[in-house]
Amino acid sequence: MPDFVEQKIELSTGPVHFLKGGAGPALLHLHSAAGPRLSPAIEMLSAKHTIYMPTMPGFNGTPAHPNVTNMPDLADLAAAFIQKAIGKGCDVMAESFGGWTALWLAVKHPELVEQLVLEAPAGMRTKGIGGLPPNDPVERDRRLYAVPERAPKDPRYEAAAAGNFKAVGGYTDGETLDAALLESLPKIKARTLLVFGSKEEVVPVEDAGRRLKSGIPHSHLSYIYNAAHAVEFDQPERVARLVGAFLERGEAFVVRTAEVA
Amino acid sequence: MKFSFFHLMPWTELTEPPEQWPASNKTFDAKRGKELYDTYIDTMVFAEECGFDWVGCNEHHFSPYGLMTNCNLIGSVLTQRTQKIGLAMLGNLIPLLNPIRVAEEYAMIDVMSGGRLIAGLIRGVPHEYIAYNVVPGESRERLREAVALIIKCWTEPEPFGWEGEFYQYPSVSIWPKPMQRPHPQILMSASNEESAEFAGQHRAMMGMTLIADLKVAQRCIEIYKQSARGHGLEPTPDHILLGYNTCIADTDEEARHHLAEGQRYFHKFLMHSIRDAQRLVVQQSRFFAQEQYGERFVSRLATLNERSIDDMIEAGSVLCGSPKTVLKQIKRIKGELGNGWFNMNMKIGNIPDAVVRRSMELFRDEVLPEAAGL
Repeated sequence: MPDFVEQKIELSTGPVHFLKGGAGPALLHLHSAAGPRLSPAIEMLSAKHTIYMPTMPGFNGTPAHPNVTNMPDLADLAAAFIQKAIGKGCDVMAESFGGWTALWLAVKHPELVEQLVLEAPAGMRTKGIGGLPPNDPVERDRRLYAVPERAPKDPRYEAAAAGNFKAVGGYTDGETLDAALLESLPKIKARTLLVFGSKEEVVPVEDAGRRLKSGIPHSHLSYIYNAAHAVEFDQPERVARLVGAFLERGEAFVVRTAEVA
Repeated sequence: MKFSFFHLMPWTELTEPPEQWPASNKTFDAKRGKELYDTYIDTMVFAEECGFDWVGCNEHHFSPYGLMTNCNLIGSVLTQRTQKIGLAMLGNLIPLLNPIRVAEEYAMIDVMSGGRLIAGLIRGVPHEYIAYNVVPGESRERLREAVALIIKCWTEPEPFGWEGEFYQYPSVSIWPKPMQRPHPQILMSASNEESAEFAGQHRAMMGMTLIADLKVAQRCIEIYKQSARGHGLEPTPDHILLGYNTCIADTDEEARHHLAEGQRYFHKFLMHSIRDAQRLVVQQSRFFAQEQYGERFVSRLATLNERSIDDMIEAGSVLCGSPKTVLKQIKRIKGELGNGWFNMNMKIGNIPDAVVRRSMELFRDEVLPEAAGL
């Protein structure tokens, strides 16, 4: 697998750290509330894509950007990152909280998003339905991982978790359903793959998934069998196979090829 | 108490036991086959007149044991020839099949029948895995994934994709969808402890056949109940279906005679080659996750073969006798196992079809009036 290298870039709002690795067309990966984590699925996708994984300000102990205070601001930051680090529009893949940013990015900067992959994206969930229990780590892990032995073991992730979840609150103000974004979904131009685990409970398909599917014009919803919220860790091969086919072949990804067989 | 009439559609014309598995089809006579299908379908339609709540059929391959290689074809005929009886497909052998096709065909039966389908999602007996060349050790996990996919096919309001271990379908949207919402009643086998646990996990109805021992059956039912409770279903007797070879005649002696003859043909001719294949699969694969269940399966088949009719009645393995006797047997089994359903197979081996009809009439006239209220 290609090595990922940590880099830093100066944007107009402040510095942004990011990981870069792989070879091929650019793929921007926007992280979840847990912060940037190099999942096995990303490593597999890096065989055919150059992956850019920015750390959003305030995550992993990085400084906040004073002028980036909400989700649309984060989307503007992601757009600035694409323009400066990648230089042109690219495919975007995002997990959970990152999906919220990616949705705003696709709404506000459609010219920069070619194809969009959203893994159980946040921001479309009715408050009180789904989510993660704040004070019950066992239940939290159950909702995140259908295959617990594949959960990431890097102690740095756990150490950063509390600070990262606090950073999320700073951008979302505790909201779970972004009404302005919901209204804007029909403006999304990018062909969109919505990916949910068959055991998803954090962002329930029956609630948020339906809003996304009916709101985004060119969207396709796929289930990853035997995965919970953290699909990239639960079933990396399945995610890489599906997302890889979607990114490489666009709407033709539904046609089976000899490689898939 | 509710009752289902079940048919295996056996081939009745063998004069020599098949030497090995699969049974040679060189003696199959299509003209006789047509007569049998006509008779068997008429018999199944008659079950509605006799007050049965369901009529059931199933799937078997490469064997004179049953001529129903796809029970959905028979189910389709029954949608047009019956009006209100439940159509129990018991069922499609899911790990051998394309789950999307199963979801589609079951949805067709449900819509064509006006919502009368009972959807059996069955793993099947071991030898079927040789017939369709599917790895027996994958059967449980294939079933688990396929069931999840089939339910999605029935319940998703929009097209969806599926990326699984055994099944990958990038874009699914079945037409028709079932009439019953959110989906038809699902029934799964619980004939051993593994299956019972599995059926409970899926909050399905449980079905059990070839009961050799009431205590073992009781244990499976208990495991099913515990598993179902752990997964949000409080099971009632209506969730428990027990399959019984059944012969009701005007006298006990007559019933014993017919059942003994039918069982003799069944074991000597229909089961002969199957037993070898079952044994091979059980020995050579992980069809059963725990070895002891495989051993029990093989010994259960042997036990049922060796027992006399009297022994089987005593063990609670068959329903046999005059209407009065069968009523007593039904009460005893219900008392011990707490089931709300009996699934009665009356065409055992080569029992004459006129005897089967008489058995059904006696059920209608003398058993059901009292048994329905149990």
